Order: sequence, then structure tokens, then C-alpha cells
Amino acid sequence: MTVRLADGGVVELVGHCPSEDAETLLAELIARPDARVDWRACESAHTAVIQVLIAANVTPAGPPADGFLANRVEPLLNRR
Amino acid sequence: MAEASSKRVLVVDDASLVRLYYRDALERAGYQVDEALNGLEALEKLHAAPADLLIVDVNMPQMDGFTFLKVLRRQALPVAAIPALVISTEAGAQDREAARQAGGNFYLVKPVSQETLVEYAAMFCGAAP
Amino acid sequence: MNEFVEQFLIECRELIEQATDDLLTLEGRPDDAERLDGAFRAFHTLKGAAGIVDFDAMGRALHAAEEVLSSLRAGAEPVTPELISDCLTCLDQVVQWLDAMQADGEIPAGADAAAEAVIQRFRRAGPAAVATPRAPAAWRDALIARHPEAAAAIVLRYAPGPDAFLRGQDPLALLAGVPDLRVLEIEDGPAWPPLEALDPFACRLVFLALAGCSAEQARAALGAAPGEVEILALGAAAPEAASGLSATARAVIEAQLLLLENAEAEGLAGRMGSAGGAVANILRWAGRPAAAAGVERALAQSQAAGGPQSLSVAVGRVLAGEAIEDAAPAGPQPAERTPAEAAARTLRVDVERIDALVNLTGELLVAKNALGHAVSQAQGRLDTAALAALLKDQHAVLHRLVDDLQRSVLSIRVLQMRQVFQRFPRLVREMVVTLGKPAHLVTEGDETEADKTIVESLFEPLLHVLRNALDHGVESPAARAAAGKPPAATITLRARRLNDNVIVEVEDDGAGVDLARVRAVAAQRGVASPEALAAMSDPEVVDLVFAAGFSTATQVTSLSGRGVGMDAVRAAAERLGGRVTMESRAGAGATVRFILPFAVLMSRILTVEAGGQLFGIPLEAVLETVRVARGDIKPVGASRAFVLRHRTVPVIDLGQTLGARPDPAATDEANIVVVSAGGHLGGLEVDRLGARLDVMLKPMEGLLSGLAGIAGTTLLGDGRVLLVLDLQELLG
Repeated sequence: MTVRLADGGVVELVGHCPSEDAETLLAELIARPDARVDWRACESAHTAVIQVLIAANVTPAGPPADGFLANRVEPLLNRR
Repeated sequence: MAEASSKRVLVVDDASLVRLYYRDALERAGYQVDEALNGLEALEKLHAAPADLLIVDVNMPQMDGFTFLKVLRRQALPVAAIPALVISTEAGAQDREAARQAGGNFYLVKPVSQETLVEYAAMFCGAAP
Repeated sequence: MNEFVEQFLIECRELIEQATDDLLTLEGRPDDAERLDGAFRAFHTLKGAAGIVDFDAMGRALHAAEEVLSSLRAGAEPVTPELISDCLTCLDQVVQWLDAMQADGEIPAGADAAAEAVIQRFRRAGPAAVATPRAPAAWRDALIARHPEAAAAIVLRYAPGPDAFLRGQDPLALLAGVPDLRVLEIEDGPAWPPLEALDPFACRLVFLALAGCSAEQARAALGAAPGEVEILALGAAAPEAASGLSATARAVIEAQLLLLENAEAEGLAGRMGSAGGAVANILRWAGRPAAAAGVERALAQSQAAGGPQSLSVAVGRVLAGEAIEDAAPAGPQPAERTPAEAAARTLRVDVERIDALVNLTGELLVAKNALGHAVSQAQGRLDTAALAALLKDQHAVLHRLVDDLQRSVLSIRVLQMRQVFQRFPRLVREMVVTLGKPAHLVTEGDETEADKTIVESLFEPLLHVLRNALDHGVESPAARAAAGKPPAATITLRARRLNDNVIVEVEDDGAGVDLARVRAVAAQRGVASPEALAAMSDPEVVDLVFAAGFSTATQVTSLSGRGVGMDAVRAAAERLGGRVTMESRAGAGATVRFILPFAVLMSRILTVEAGGQLFGIPLEAVLETVRVARGDIKPVGASRAFVLRHRTVPVIDLGQTLGARPDPAATDEANIVVVSAGGHLGGLEVDRLGARLDVMLKPMEGLLSGLAGIAGTTLLGDGRVLLVLDLQELLG
């Protein structure tokens, strides 16, 4: 399980998040529209997971653990 | 190395502005330029006097560029073997593929600058760059 | 007002009149296909006109309308008064722009906002109108304009398509593999649905990117990508490919090859004629008339045979940078062949044929050496001086012929570095993920050629060096920030040809080699004595990294700590007949440089005589030859050694070791050939130094194959067999 609900209603992305995590993340965000997302421990994330973050217009607490995510992907989030 | 001045280019496009733009570039580079407004007119012109290169638009009334190329390739040699540079506003992969299926030698997406056009004409005509 | 703007205004007004007429008629007769076609064409032509005068906003507005008309034409949605009205509104806007241009000849200010308003109308118009890709010039120019600092070589747009995730693709991972990615953006698309309506497995993203690599490199990285990838090169001249043709010329020639693939019977002669003629003309344009004539011959053969095979083969060879004089075999060609055959750029050559050629070259080499021997014999007699001169000339000619022949033989075996380089972007990306150190890989000189064996054997050593660079060379993001460096490290993988060598470098912008730690570890592990270490220069210390059993890792990391050190890299380079060195710039990074022979079949050897027997020593292993007083060679344990510039060099008596009879006439000084192999230094004691020769090495066969310390044999001009030493085995 690489998408998990931590204390205080924070949704954490941890380690390598495969495409299946997109569905889990989406379900969490639908269930808790005000949930904060934390991806500081995220080492890689499938594009499907990133797409959910974009669609939900959330700004996760970062930076993520991976250079590509931090440098190239994080700027793509919360642009709307 | 062939001189550009001995080479003849037929521009097939229904837009007079496009024809003017291409003619201007090619004539300044030393080519003889002739024009046709659609595929049908181009075929007639080619049978009267063959060209060294065709520059072909896709969307044209009476006979579009793809139909023109298919018909052209079925003609007798040497008319059938005239190279054709297709220049269209469509940028999709399926448009490139359709141009190739029809017998187009290369596909460029509009707008094509005058410099680019002259470079491609020089390549296809074997002229000095 | 310039001529084009004037013509533009005249033409646009005509087209608007025609389009308006068509649209109004269509409103009353929604089924009138001819009017619909007319309106579509008018909008299309208007869009083209906007492109010519660089009026991008107008092009975008018209494109949105054209998309709607296109879907109406396809019957995807019905003609409604609302849609007609939207199209007319678009035309009204264009008229306003034209009026403004008529007044001052300039593209009107504020056109972008007005165009956006028009596009918005069509966005909410219906499902078919939703997918409105922006005009190509628009996305490209806007992206570049947003990032003028990127100074990119290419711009790309990648639309993976809705089923990309389901097909197991990860578009961002593919983009991460694009070398020197400088800007990544997501294209503005239709509004996102509420989360409840979002399908998490349908990809709706379209990516825009700027990168510093070539279009070919980007295409290679995205090669397996589904959906649509558009890559446009920007101004900067792309590096010339192996064929010596510009990227543009190559692209056009490649298109001709594809054209030949579509070889249905209809119009085949015309297709072949136009494709072959085009390639020949491009080659003339590029100043390659001989190749052009070759293509024309192949075209004639294809026309006679009624099939494109001869022509496809010839065009393929042009792209591969090969001569095409003999491209097309005689006789009729079968008209049927698979697309795969036409697409193949490389010529398949039977291994046996290559082996036969290799053997032939070997024999010619023997002939050359024989002639050299004859020259030396003839020169010994006065009355044959003239003959000797003649023979010498002949020898020179033969020398050149052999070289030429060998070069052409070896070219059959040549591969581009691309073959090995293209595997690294993905692997580096994985390492980056594992190590948590941001870095990107830049490759240069992908088109550099080398012998197949070299290229294929480079993967492992390069992978190790890359791992090492990322693991030990590149600092943590925090340390980089402290040093004022960009957070992401740059690792450059570079190849180039230098005379008869191929240079392959791995350069990083990390911290460089920690010399103090290397000294400490070397001392601790007994790689070198404290005295030797103290006397070593900095470059010599850096070189210790390659010493057997050395590793600078203080902890075993998941990547580099797998038991193979840089000594394995050096051994691999030497197996290929090359060398590897490391250059460190304190605080600024390090470069590992492989210097490899272009071809592996030819060996340069130094002949030596020991114990009355002749041996060959691979010249690339020879560091120097020295004369050492016998008194300076001291016993060390069971063996002997002498000291050369602070380093202890063990001495091997070649004659004794290889079982030849000892030379009775021992002198005061010993001839020592100092060699390096497999990370070991050694001094071979020999009786006499001979000549340097180029030889073709044959592997040992039969009885001799069991002989230790011998790499192979070669035949000398006087018929004697020369044993070439396997130094790794002798020193190891």
C-alpha cells in the first residue's frame, strides 16, 4: 500500500506508486475533499497518479523524494 | 550539380496568397514556377509540360491533393515519377500517413517559411544548396 | 503595406464572403453536403492564409471552427443553428481583424484574447468540438516564448491517448528518458470533470516539452510511446549522422523508404520513380554524385523487376552511410517483400562471408610481411640495390592496399554507439530513483562508429562507470545546493572518433574524486605502500581507483557495491585492446575516459626475443622499455623486482617462464619491457627487442590452445610462427 491515510486526514504517497494507486488516491480524495496530500516520501509515481493530483487541483506537501518528480513534475501541479 | 534555373516547379494550391508566397520564394531562388488551382488543373498542365517538382496542397476544390497524387502515380512515366512535396495545414500523424499512401514524397505542415521551401526545393531538384 | 498582407486581405475577404454564403444556405438546408464542403474549405484556406502572414491568433480561432465543420462533415454531430451561428461569429471576428489590418498593415493588438473568446464558444459547443488541438505553430511558438531561457534544440508535443495507462505505459517515465529535458508542461485542455466522474485509468494529459537533445534522441526515448508524438527541431543544426547527410536530408530520404513500403501494385512505377529520383537528387544536392548514380542504377533495376527491393536496399545503404556502388544484385528481384525488409537499414551479411574476408585479409598481411622480409634480404646485397628500391615501393603499395582492404572489411562489422547509448537513459532514470539524487543523462556522438565487438562489449563497463559517477561522484541535493550547483546533476556520455581510436567519456559535474580518502583506503587495503603513496602525484592517486580490490565506497550501496569495482572496468577496456583513465576536477566533477581501438581485429605488436624464441607483445600494453643493471633487480620473496620511479615492478624472465632455453650470454644489464595489463604492472625480461608489426591475431587452435600465457599466433614474413603473449594471464 503506497497510498495511505495518516493522522490528521493527510493522504501520504510513499515509495513507488504504481498506476493502481491512482484509483486508491482518487477514492481518498473523493471521500475527503479537504484532505491534504503529502508526497515527501514518494520515490516515483505513475502518470495516472499524477493525473489524479492534477484533476483534483491539489498541492501536495513536498518536495518528493525523487529528483524528476521534484524538478519536473511538481511544477505541473496546482496550475489551475 | 544542376542549376536551379533549369528546374520547373508546379505549385498546386487553391489559395492565391499561398501561390504568391511560394512563387516569390522560388523565383528569387532561380526556379521557373507554374501554378495550378487544383489537382485536375495540375494534371492538365503536367501533360502539356512536365515539372521537376510538385508542391501540393491537400484541401482543394474539384480535385484534392491526395486524389491528385493517386491519379498522378498511375500516369505513364516520366509524369508519374515527379516528386511531390505535400504542404498542408494538418499536423496529425494520420494526415502524414494519408499523404504517403497517396504517393507524396514528403510532408510539411503549414506555415512553411520561404527559406524552408527553397531548401526542400533544392533537395528535391538536386540543385546547389 | 507589404505585398503579402495586401494579397492576404483581398483573398480573406473573398473567402469570408464565400463561407458566409455557404453557412447561410446550410442553415436552411442542413443536408446540403456541397455547401458544407464549401464552408469547410473556405475556413481551411483562411487558416492557411493566416499562417502565411504569421497571424497565429487568427489561425487558432479558425482552426476551432474548422474542427467543428470537420465533425459535421463526418456526420459525428448534426448541423444546428447554434453551430452555424458560432461559425458566423468567428467570421465576424476575422472581418474585424482584417479591417484593423487594412488600416495600419499590422496584426491587431489584443487578437489573442479575441481568438480565445472564439475558441471558448466552440469548446462548449459539443463533444466533438471539445478536442481542439491548438494549431501546431501556436503551441510550439507559445511554449518557446514562455521559456526563452531554455535555449532548447527540440520542442515536442506528446499526446499519449486515452488508453495509454491501460496499455501499461507510463508517459512521464518515458519523458524522463528524454536526454537533457529542460522544460515539461501539460497542455491546457478541456476543463477537468468533477472527481466523481474522473476515470483514473483514462489518460487525458497532453505533454509539451523542450529539450537539448536531437529529435532522433527524443524519438528514441519515446520510441515505444503510444499515441501521437510530434518532435520539431529548432534552428540549431543537428549533428550529422553516419551517412554524412544533414538531419533534414536524412528525414526526407527516410520518408522515401517508407513510400516504397506502400507498394501496392497501383502506381508502383510512379512511386518508385519519384522516390528514387528524389533520393538521387538529394544526394546530388549534398555533393554525392557517385551515390546518386548508384541509386539511379538501383532504380532502373527496380523498374525492370517491377519491385522496389533493389531500390530499398540502395536507399537503406545510403542511410547507413555505406557505399552503394554494388548495392543492387543483378537479375530480377521478387516484387513481394515484407515491410520489415524495406525498413531494415543495415545490410545482413553472412557470418561465414565475413570470416572468409577476415582470413583473406590475414593472408594479405602475411604477403606484406613477406615482402618486407624480402626487402631486408635484398638490401643486404649491393648488386640488388635497385631491386630493393623497387621492392620497397611495392611494399608501400601493398601496405596501402592492405590497409584499405582491412578498413572496408571492418566497416562491415561497424556499429554506431547509439546501439549501446540508447539503453542508458532509462537505466540512469532508474538509478536516479533508487539513489534519490536528481541527475539527467546527456548523450553526445551517438553516431560515432566502432567495431561491433567494441560497441557491444561497452555496455557493462559503461553501466558500471555511470553507476559509480552517480553513486560516488554526484553529491546529495543538499551538498549541491551548498556548492551553488543546480540540484540536478548532469552526466554526459560522449563518444568521438580520434584517428584509429574511439574515445568514450563519462563526465559528471559532481564533487570529483576525494583524494585524501583514496590515499587512506589504498593504504588501508595495501593497494600501495605508504612510501609509494606519499610519492604519488594527484593523477596517480586518482588512477588507484582502478586498482584491483579498490572501492571508495565507505558503505555498500545498492548500486555500486556489487563486488565489481572499477578494476573490472579497466580489465574490460584492456580486453578490448584499449585503456581507461580517470580525470578528477576537485569540486567540479570527474571524467572517465575509454580510449579504444576503432577495430579489434588488428593488433599492433612489439616483437621480442627471449631464450632464442620470438614473441609478440601487444603494443597497447607496453608502457616503456628500460635497461636495468642486474644488480638493481632484487629478489622479493620467490620472485624478483626492481624499482621504477617509486613503483615496484616485478620482473618476469620471459624465456624461463615460457620454457625456452636460457640465453647463455648474460649481460650486465637486462632489457626490460614494462607492461600493464589487468591492473597489474610487470617487467618482461627479454634478450633482444625486435620490430613493431601490425598483425592479425589468430586464436590458438589444437595442441597449442592449452598453452598458458599465449593469446594467439601470427605468421611472420619468413614463415616463422610468432607467439603473441597474453599479458593478463602472465601477470595475473
